[in-house]
Amino acid sequence: MNTVEIHIKRRPSPDAPQHWEVFEIPYRPNLNVISCLMEIRKNPVTKSGQQTTPPSWDMNCLEQVCGICTMVINGRVRQSCSALVDNLDKPIKLEPMTKFPNIRDLIVDRSQMFDHLKRVHAWIELDGTHDLGPGPRMDQEDVMERYAYSRCMTCGCCLEACPQYDEDHYIGPQAIAQVRLFNMHPSGAMDREERLQGIMGDDGITNCGNAQNCVKVCPMNIPLTKAIYEENRETVLYGLLGWLKK
Amino acid sequence: MAIRLSRTFILRKLHQLTGIMPLGIFLLEHFYTNSKALTGPADFNNAVRDLQSIPYILFVEIGGIFIPLIYHAVYGLVITVEARPNNLYYPYARNWFYTIQRVTGIILFFFITFHVLNFRFGLIPGLNTMSVAHHVDQSFDIVAREFKMVPIFIVYVIGITATVWHLANGIWLFLVDWGITIGERAQRLTGYACIAFGLFLLAVGINAAIAFIHPGGLLGKFM
Repeated sequence: MNTVEIHIKRRPSPDAPQHWEVFEIPYRPNLNVISCLMEIRKNPVTKSGQQTTPPSWDMNCLEQVCGICTMVINGRVRQSCSALVDNLDKPIKLEPMTKFPNIRDLIVDRSQMFDHLKRVHAWIELDGTHDLGPGPRMDQEDVMERYAYSRCMTCGCCLEACPQYDEDHYIGPQAIAQVRLFNMHPSGAMDREERLQGIMGDDGITNCGNAQNCVKVCPMNIPLTKAIYEENRETVLYGLLGWLKK
Repeated sequence: MAIRLSRTFILRKLHQLTGIMPLGIFLLEHFYTNSKALTGPADFNNAVRDLQSIPYILFVEIGGIFIPLIYHAVYGLVITVEARPNNLYYPYARNWFYTIQRVTGIILFFFITFHVLNFRFGLIPGLNTMSVAHHVDQSFDIVAREFKMVPIFIVYVIGITATVWHLANGIWLFLVDWGITIGERAQRLTGYACIAFGLFLLAVGINAAIAFIHPGGLLGKFM
């Protein structure tokens, strides 16, 4: 019978060291990594016959739009729901993302990215006690560009593949693209300087090393380098050269 | 609200700027002067003499070259320490450029230290104790004597190649870091332009070095 060998880097608890476990499951056509993990979970016995705990991982939408099932598969970060076994080198090696705190097995804590969004004011102020009227009209080209940035699902692929992102020392492409998204909006532009301040700190946009892995690994094909370079321009114009207007 | 500039932001912007101006401009001037060797030792020596007669030469050298050079080199090493290269799993061209930029930076740190002590100050006992800048009648001969030693010449070819790579890619990095080049197509086109400029600069740099051991450089017999 055809089988698939799967190596999983496991961690029983946040403080415990990581270790590898090898599993083998029967092959079926159209397996993806999630269905392999589900198969292992039914009967968590390693290839050498040892009883173990069921591996834990995050999953939700199963169609590559939520980003929660992101992990490092055969050395590269991607969503496990859309990683088809037929297209992967065997044995399949599953690891948790390395740039975020590893909670257990393949689960990581990505709250850093949420903190970044809060820091860059990644929303538009609309609250008021009175009717604010219709929103301003936008150029269709801007609408299309903003749509691309709006597809970000905060999966963290860009940060995992970035050679500059480590220990949260760099705010990263994910947050910078959201700065672009909201600064392009006519109402959002009112808070432009607050957002720029958010990406101009010691861990800010200048820590980008232009390796451009982010745009290559982004599962939503967001033009992340374009966003970074647009914000480079904004930080130079409003931050560095802002005093020339005063 | 007024935007407050963080320390890192200012240091990085200064690092990006010094790489182009004055250091990149200085490299072009340097290759220009070196190329004077193509038309013979006397022309090269005269070029060195002219440079030495620049008014306020001490301040020009310290403020225009040494301070920016030391800043760019030392802060460049700080940036390099932060790098976590991952080229084997993400083998894209730009990711390789990222790593090579840092590797050439480290090479340049040692090469330029050696080169400045060697020719500018003549402080390498056992190899050269005569400053090219301060012996303008023998400038060509001091360089030529060293370049005839094969290991030294190889060191210089490696140094010139690393420098040219670092500048050509550095120009591209400057363009994106200052928000001049933005879109994907513009990134690609400026990338090609930087490669072409790098190849041109490499040919000029290497040919000037050859001119010290082979009269007229590579094309000496034909020109």
